[in-house]
Amino acid sequence: MFFKIAIRNLLRNKRRTLIILSSIIIGVAATLIYDSINAGMIDQMLVNQINTYYSHIQIHKKGFNDNRLVTSYIPEYKKVEDVLKKQKYITAYSNRVIAFGMLSSANSSAGISMIGIEPEREKRVSDIHKMVIEGRYPSGKLNEILISKRMSEKLEVTLGDKVVAMAADINGKVNSELFRIVGIYRSHTGEFDKVFVYVPIENARTILGIGDNVSEIAVITSSADSTFSYKKQLTNALKDSGYKTADTEVLTYQESLAMIMYLIDIWKQTSIIIYLIIALAVLFGVINTMLMSVFERVNEIGVLMSIGMKNSAIFRMIVLEAFMLGLVGTVVGFIVGILIYLPLSHNGINLGIYSESMSSMGLNNIIYPELNLMVIINSLVVMPLATAVGAFYPARKAIKLQPTDAMRYV
Amino acid sequence: MEIIRLENISKIYQDHGIPVQALKDVNLEIDKGDFVVIAGPSGSGKTTLLNIIGSLDIPTEGHVFLERDNLTHKKKRELSAIRLRKIGFIFQAYNLLPVLTALENIEFSMMLLGLPDKERHKKAMKIMEELDIAELANKKPNKMSGGQQQRVAVARAIVNDPLLVLADEPTANLDTKTANGLLDLMQKMNEEKNITFVFSSHDKKVIDRAKKLFILKDGMIVNGN
Ligand SMILES: Nc1ncnc2c1ncn2[C@@H]1O[C@H](COP(=O)(O)OP(=O)(O)OP(=O)(O)O)[C@@H](O)[C@H]1O
Ligand SMILES: [Mg+2]
Repeated sequence: MFFKIAIRNLLRNKRRTLIILSSIIIGVAATLIYDSINAGMIDQMLVNQINTYYSHIQIHKKGFNDNRLVTSYIPEYKKVEDVLKKQKYITAYSNRVIAFGMLSSANSSAGISMIGIEPEREKRVSDIHKMVIEGRYPSGKLNEILISKRMSEKLEVTLGDKVVAMAADINGKVNSELFRIVGIYRSHTGEFDKVFVYVPIENARTILGIGDNVSEIAVITSSADSTFSYKKQLTNALKDSGYKTADTEVLTYQESLAMIMYLIDIWKQTSIIIYLIIALAVLFGVINTMLMSVFERVNEIGVLMSIGMKNSAIFRMIVLEAFMLGLVGTVVGFIVGILIYLPLSHNGINLGIYSESMSSMGLNNIIYPELNLMVIINSLVVMPLATAVGAFYPARKAIKLQPTDAMRYV
Repeated sequence: MEIIRLENISKIYQDHGIPVQALKDVNLEIDKGDFVVIAGPSGSGKTTLLNIIGSLDIPTEGHVFLERDNLTHKKKRELSAIRLRKIGFIFQAYNLLPVLTALENIEFSMMLLGLPDKERHKKAMKIMEELDIAELANKKPNKMSGGQQQRVAVARAIVNDPLLVLADEPTANLDTKTANGLLDLMQKMNEEKNITFVFSSHDKKVIDRAKKLFILKDGMIVNGN
């Protein structure tokens, strides 16, 4: 009967109920869409970073990421490889040699991160081979180089042109090598395209004079969500094999991409502020609506008190009304949100006009909104809660009334 | 048998800081089966007295005893439980809940008492038959005349078999014929079911039917019936 009363009370002033209801619906739908776009962006940003370069787990000499010294190659990396081969959760790995130097054409030059790769194995740990837009991916033959579109424009070179790479070796001596451009790629990340070039691993080793050592091993596991547990397992496996782990570090992509993870964190916090604002707007709407409705019913509430309804029951009755508003608004808003979300998630949202800034954040032009559990919980919980909480004050006002107000008919 | 006793009741309202004495040293007793009318001019304190009897208001001084139980220090929730079980209210403006049908209005207080669905439906239908308002069962108050609404209000007031029913000028908004019909009804309930009624009124029709009459003037009982 309480439900019946609550519903009928809400239907009493249909226009008012409809107004507050639509604000809840819009609030829920907007939260859902905003949130799913955010989730889609964050996911894309991470996936792009992982696929372009970072993989799930990276192995380096300890401190490599801080000093990036040529001499910081992985000690006895073959022993590490032996362990990697035995881990079931590792689906692929590839060795890399990394050098920092210069790339020069006849016309110009630029600073580079030169990545020496094993082309066939690299294909299994990164998607760089899929990003080639002109020419081809390096075949493994010596002195082939893959550069970005951006780099080619900077150096004013095209396919087949020759470029010279220079870098300091372990003794500080500057070596150079002549390369022929076999391919041009474009990744999703502008910052990446600015400096990354790919050469065969043997060329990089020669330039750096590091023998057959490697600076980095990129590892792909069977699940990107379990990297931390895999890291632990791998570290243990390395120790068990007798390998001296003290000088080696195993980093998950979350650790390698600490800066991006930090950005994502800030992003999430900003979203919370936005929910708060939406929730607050709804909250005040509900307070206002319920206050009006309580004041219109002073008489009735007095009667309810006279005939012996407990204050706590009256309080609950009013909160129930608001909660039902919140519930109906949330369900409808959720459905509306999903109906908007479905085509968006299928076709994506084309933000090509912001191409420049999207790429600088490591994003594609097309964003695919994503529903995850967090998004769903956020949109389903926040509004009913806000409405129920918004009813507390009016409900308190109601039970502060004196029952004699009803008897004193005016 | 005494069901209500007021001892030295005074009530002083604060009207924007100015004290208004609504009741002054009122003593009275109401017995089971009484048909009491509290009469007096406007502003004499009738409503105030009724509210105090009904535990809707608390006196500034004095004590109210309900079945010899002193209500003075009772908590709000205790008083509301007492009202639910022992007191029925009939208001001048009927004051049915507008969102409920006649039947639901009558069932409402039984629901508060926790009676099961079926039982309260049966009881409500029975009382409606008795009061000759069965055909109103599914009507909402705004589809009923004043007289019909007040009959439903009577049904609501007596359906829980209260110790007493308080009615504040129940006929003030009704024409003579309807008012008489309603009074007949309440008199019948009083005689047949021994329900105690306490009215406030300055309506001669009501006063004439009193078994016990208290006349209020400036907050004091001026007859000693
Ligand atoms: N809440 C209140 N605050 C201040 N004064 C009040 C209040 N309620 C009643 N009074 C005053 O107390 C006195 C008695 O009022 P009460 O309503 O009991 O009279 P009444 O006999 O019921 O009058 P009526 O016949 O007009 O209904 C009046 O002077 C009234 O102005
Ligand atoms: Mg009065």
